[in-house]
Amino acid sequence: MPAAPRGGTRARPGRIRRIWSFWPQYLAIAPFFVIFGVFMLGPVLFSLYLAFHRWDGLGDIQYVGLQQFRFLVKDPTFWLSLKNTLIIWVLSTVPMLLLALVLAAMLNAALRLSSFYRLAYFVPNVTSLVAISIFFFAVFSQFGLVNAVMHGLHLPLIGWLSNTWAIKIVIALLMSWQWTGYNAIIYLAGLQAIPTDLYEAAKIDGAGPIQIFWRITIPLLRPVILFTVVISTVTGMQSFTEPQILFGSNASINPNSGGPGQAGLTMILYFYHQAFDVHDYGYGAAIAWSAFLVILVFAVINWRIVARHED
Amino acid sequence: MEISRRRMLQVGMLGMAGATTGALTACGSSSTTSSSTKSESLSLWYWGGGLSDKVVEAAITQFPNAKLKTQKIDGDFRQKLVTTIAAGKFVPDITGIKGEDIASILPNANKFVDLNTLGADKLASQYLPWKWKQGSTSDGKLIGFPIDIGPTGMFYRKDMFAKAGLPTEPAEVGALVATWDGYFEVGAKIQKAYPKSFLINNIGSIFQMIVGQGTKRFIDESNHFIGDQDHIRTAWDTAVKAMTLGVDAKINDESWKQAIGNGTLATEIGAAWHALDLSDAAPDTAGKWRVAANPGGPANIGGSFLAIPKASTDPKTAFQILTWILDPQNQAKGFTDAALFPSSPATYKMPALTSGDAFFGGQVTIDVFSPQAEKIPIAYEAPADAAVSAPYFSALSGLETSAKNADAAWADAVSQAKQIAQRQGVS
Repeated sequence: MPAAPRGGTRARPGRIRRIWSFWPQYLAIAPFFVIFGVFMLGPVLFSLYLAFHRWDGLGDIQYVGLQQFRFLVKDPTFWLSLKNTLIIWVLSTVPMLLLALVLAAMLNAALRLSSFYRLAYFVPNVTSLVAISIFFFAVFSQFGLVNAVMHGLHLPLIGWLSNTWAIKIVIALLMSWQWTGYNAIIYLAGLQAIPTDLYEAAKIDGAGPIQIFWRITIPLLRPVILFTVVISTVTGMQSFTEPQILFGSNASINPNSGGPGQAGLTMILYFYHQAFDVHDYGYGAAIAWSAFLVILVFAVINWRIVARHED
Repeated sequence: MEISRRRMLQVGMLGMAGATTGALTACGSSSTTSSSTKSESLSLWYWGGGLSDKVVEAAITQFPNAKLKTQKIDGDFRQKLVTTIAAGKFVPDITGIKGEDIASILPNANKFVDLNTLGADKLASQYLPWKWKQGSTSDGKLIGFPIDIGPTGMFYRKDMFAKAGLPTEPAEVGALVATWDGYFEVGAKIQKAYPKSFLINNIGSIFQMIVGQGTKRFIDESNHFIGDQDHIRTAWDTAVKAMTLGVDAKINDESWKQAIGNGTLATEIGAAWHALDLSDAAPDTAGKWRVAANPGGPANIGGSFLAIPKASTDPKTAFQILTWILDPQNQAKGFTDAALFPSSPATYKMPALTSGDAFFGGQVTIDVFSPQAEKIPIAYEAPADAAVSAPYFSALSGLETSAKNADAAWADAVSQAKQIAQRQGVS
């Protein structure tokens, strides 16, 4: 019995000394972990704790067990927000990734001004989302540019920011506009990594451009497509700023409720509304964690679908 | 390579030294705030337009010993205040509280100084009783000292009324729209003269106004949900009626700003401070607007408070500054500078308020608002009131955009409001 601890104590100083000898390296990576721990991990764990409590942000925190989740299951607004999120996500991600692929192929072929185009397509991604949303609002509002053009063409006017479907289309358009360039740049990097001799060999064997695209480009690009699909799932299902700015409304009554008929209420916006407008932090945390689970499920499904083709 | 590694070590050491000194200073400052009783300076938090900037500046020179530091907080004011109070550091000595937030802050009255203990009760008679009650807890502690109030009126386009063959003078118009039905008839006449115009921007604003005109809201004083009762149903039915009559523009977003400017909207109902929104949104329509008494009687929308958090180092001086900023004289300045409608009736007779407003063609708007201000009904507003009312507003805006049945929408709104009430601990 006494032998074991003695063995342990003999081994430990050596290990500690070895770890200590790397202290400059540990110190160098420490800032990330300290900041991550304080500003990311801490709040994440606290939100998990809050999901089982009731709290108004100032008073006492009260343990309520699974009650918040029981409310959530019976809350039609949560299910509506889930439905909205999925519709907006499909409306934005599918056309966005297809368009990004086409753009990347074009960028890859561009001979002149190629860095200008690359920059131009990436600019939307680094533009302030709030500024974009305000711009989209001006374009799509009842008396905005789009309706002015439609009026000029004698087409029926559409309440872009009041019709249940139009609202979703506008949000999806905004998200596509912002992320298409980003995805195109990622695809472009993937395209440039494909060895040219493969294309040359295919050409010699008599393959046309369409055949080359489907038989060589797409299969070799699969890991990159997988990456963009998963990233688009994670970001697209967390849409928040777009509907928040478009339908924030400066009214003190019922803010951040997702616009007319709550058609633009996404899961994350609903979480924000519950926590920061209604001051129900426990319920907000429960929504946030449910959103996390939903996103996890969809990310895994997408990953399985895209990855399966690999065999 | 050798040099770069040494350099890196030096930087690392510097970084560590920095972290240590940072920690030491943090310790130092925390110990001084907790032990010392002498305060170096007092701080005041408010939002842009929440107080008159001129009065705030004057307060700094008026109380030189307090070394008052003022800070305008942008964004979600309640959120920032609550987070700071919960953290317990850098808490302001005096802070604004918005009208829509006061009810949900009152349950945490223990985080604030009861202003009655500092002598606020002696000043109570100078301020409107219903407003005073709004800032007090049910057991009589005064948490929020009245800044301004939001008595409501009906803003209307005089030129459009004239063309529609309607009376144009505020007194006559006020009599015409005394009831909601009278108001809706005005809408029909406007639409005969202006087929593309509407009476009101959305029906949520009618619902909000009618609820504000009553003495009961969504939760009663014994913490029961009453949002399914007649007083709410009547407000709902009246709002829906405006839509079925076709006088509702169904505008639920910022495009009402354009609608105000281009004559799509002939009237607006809102608080006195809404006049500033109108003149900001449509400066070109200056002189065409007038304001008359509101359909259905007086109501209040918004209006803020000043409070002193418990963490304040010198509540007595803070209270002196607070009451100076909000005394009847300075409330008159608040009205001129920031359109803050005074909560002290004595101010209503001061020249700053009795002069005409150019945006309203020289009309003395106080003549419309001040009789309303003193007759505003006292209704109990529960901490969860705003949260519980949300489904009604969502349902009304939903009705405006889809062909849903109004009774089905009512049933959905009530069942959702009940669930929110349950979540918020209302029985």
